[in-house]
Amino acid sequence: MSSPLHAAYCPDHAVLASVEVVENVPVARDTFRLRVTCAEMARRITPGQFVMLRLAGCNDPLLARPLALYDTFYETTDLTSDPPAMGSPAGLDVVYLRLGKMTRRLAEYRPGQLLEIWGPLGNGFELTAKANDIRLSHLMMVAGGIGQTPFLALAQEALGQKTYGSEPGRLPTVSRVSLCYGARSADYLAGIEDFEAAGVDVRLATDDGSRGHHGLVTDLVLDSLQGANPPDRIVCCGPEPMMAAVAGLAREHAVPCFVSLETPMACGIGICFTCVARVRDAHGGWDYKRTCVEGPVFDASVIEW
Amino acid sequence: MTGEPIDAVDLSVRLGRLTLRNPILVASGTFGYGREMAALVELQRLGALIPKTVTRQPRAGNAPWRTVETSAGMLNAIGLDNDGVDAFLAHHLPYLGGLPCPTIVSIAGAGVEDYVALARRLDDESAVAALELNISCPNVAGGVDFGTDPRMCHDVVTAVRNATGKPIIAKLTPNVTQIALMAKAAAEGGADAVSLINTVLGMAVDWRHRRPLLANVVGGLSGPAIKPIALRCVYQVAQAVTIPILGIGGIATIDDVMEFLVAGASAVQVGTANYYCPNATMTILDQLPAALRTLQATCVANVVGTLDTRAHGGPSHGDKH
Ligand SMILES: Cc1cc2nc3c(=O)[nH]c(=O)nc-3n(C[C@H](O)[C@H](O)[C@H](O)COP(=O)(O)OP(=O)(O)OC[C@H]3O[C@@H](n4cnc5c(N)ncnc54)[C@H](O)[C@@H]3O)c2cc1C
Ligand SMILES: Cc1cc2nc3c(=O)[nH]c(=O)nc-3n(C[C@H](O)[C@H](O)[C@H](O)COP(=O)(O)O)c2cc1C
Ligand code: FES
Repeated sequence: MSSPLHAAYCPDHAVLASVEVVENVPVARDTFRLRVTCAEMARRITPGQFVMLRLAGCNDPLLARPLALYDTFYETTDLTSDPPAMGSPAGLDVVYLRLGKMTRRLAEYRPGQLLEIWGPLGNGFELTAKANDIRLSHLMMVAGGIGQTPFLALAQEALGQKTYGSEPGRLPTVSRVSLCYGARSADYLAGIEDFEAAGVDVRLATDDGSRGHHGLVTDLVLDSLQGANPPDRIVCCGPEPMMAAVAGLAREHAVPCFVSLETPMACGIGICFTCVARVRDAHGGWDYKRTCVEGPVFDASVIEW
Repeated sequence: MTGEPIDAVDLSVRLGRLTLRNPILVASGTFGYGREMAALVELQRLGALIPKTVTRQPRAGNAPWRTVETSAGMLNAIGLDNDGVDAFLAHHLPYLGGLPCPTIVSIAGAGVEDYVALARRLDDESAVAALELNISCPNVAGGVDFGTDPRMCHDVVTAVRNATGKPIIAKLTPNVTQIALMAKAAAEGGADAVSLINTVLGMAVDWRHRRPLLANVVGGLSGPAIKPIALRCVYQVAQAVTIPILGIGGIATIDDVMEFLVAGASAVQVGTANYYCPNATMTILDQLPAALRTLQATCVANVVGTLDTRAHGGPSHGDKH
């Protein structure tokens, strides 16, 4: 992926499928976890990648919506073998906020109803890239609102609990993973048990003080950067002003920071040029880059906020 | 079964000097540069592929938001974001030229000299099967003048015709009072075919914040919402010119394709449907032979422009039912 030109980026591993809803359950206020069976996609997808989901046969909403991989699931675990054989993943979970036209409809979907899905899409986190074989001591994940969704799979992979994608056995490279997670109020916080079960050190902030720190998630980030065991890598996902602020803090403390952008998308596969963000080039200028194929994960230092 | 075998239906179509193996193309700006779709679409099955419009110089395009979903459609104001013709020749055309389906290159400019320069530049490229002149983009200043003034439309087509030996398709905008006049001008200028329609000018408003949803304020409407407008345009143009028509606008299913053929299109381009149903063209191609056989056709030309306007009992119908 060295060429700066658009055509270097293609969703080469994407598949398109018609899938049935297996489960669609509330997990927090206005927040749902959707499970679909799609083995081929689940085998390929890696943390930080996303899928496009569309209400089958529906012309309004017409377009699919991007949703991040929350986790893959395994249908059958053979507990008789030792260690238990997991097989390969049967499908995937996404966690979504009921927000507008499409997600309001999606929240009403029952098991058995049909969705169209394509993916895996986007670059995902390159955290465990074998090439540079870096070993991190503390990976800090910073989430605002529904921006927590890409991080469970990342944490599980980074801590060596689970593998994703077609290169099984990507080694654990991180000794500690923490999550700074901010939301409007306690009832919007979703999936905290999942992160804690994975061994993530979770720190919370709410706007109204109903749980955790009363204030902004960036307060937690600063606290950690100035603390005893500061992160040597930050990943961040959430509203743009929050990502810009975290990127700024990371820069001040000279900690590499990666952001997962949530620009609106129409196709998710690089053919419409809807999803652009301003990305700096080597010559001090910038160009609009398609976040669906060149992102959604970017080194925060190249984003022109 | 004593019926004809499936392959007895001839899908090939002639568009002036250009012959294609089937009438299902993908529209400029809705299919990237082809390779983005390689995992999801069998590119070799397409009648032709039209990559995103190319300009002489790189263009950054418009600021976000660039698209907004609307009822059964979407508005866009991308602003011809592209890396310019040099990058196109260096990075995209080699890939496209290696595909077994033909590439028709869409070009746009602010003046006749831009179109001519681009046509000359592409004239030697064997990978370019034909040129589509985008004289209808609503999202760039000056971009639409060639498409709204018959004289300018005629002149730009003639100038390009003199600059290249490649077949020329003029892509028309629906944002005019009489699209048939524009098609006539293109035909008289020497176009091999016309393609229509480009997007329909529209806008979307966020009343709570009293602001337009598109950064460009206005944009082009596409998708199923514009199909009736596109069909009407194809029908009117088919009455006015003898050169072939490529129908575009809201096409997503085999029924849509057949409607355009019957209304007068010799071929079609699938656009917005690629976004929300990436394999729409493949499903259409699977179903096309059977649909043509339904009308006892043995080739595509058998159904083109066969609309029977007397079907409702002539112009004075209305009081019978
Ligand atoms: C890579 C990626 C991963 C994502 N992962 C998740 C996830 O895991 N979980 C999750 O809940 N969400 C996720 N999102 C966001 C999600 O795609 C949106 O919340 C979803 O599209 C909302 O659709 P809707 O129809 O319900 O809302 P819409 O009716 O589309 O509106 C949603 C909001 O977006 C605004 N909006 C509408 N159109 C535009 C536009 N053209 N440009 C900018 N803003 C617009 C509206 O004002 C409204 O506030 C992700 C987005 C991206 C890009
Ligand atoms: C996001 C978007 C970008 C487009 N870009 C181009 C373009 O670069 N050149 C062009 O000739 N037409 C462009 N079009 C117009 C389409 O090719 C097509 O004419 C139009 O969308 C109507 O067809 P549809 O309803 O099937 O999409 C674009 C359309 C959309 C939606
Ligand atoms: S969403 Fe279509 S190009 Fe990125």
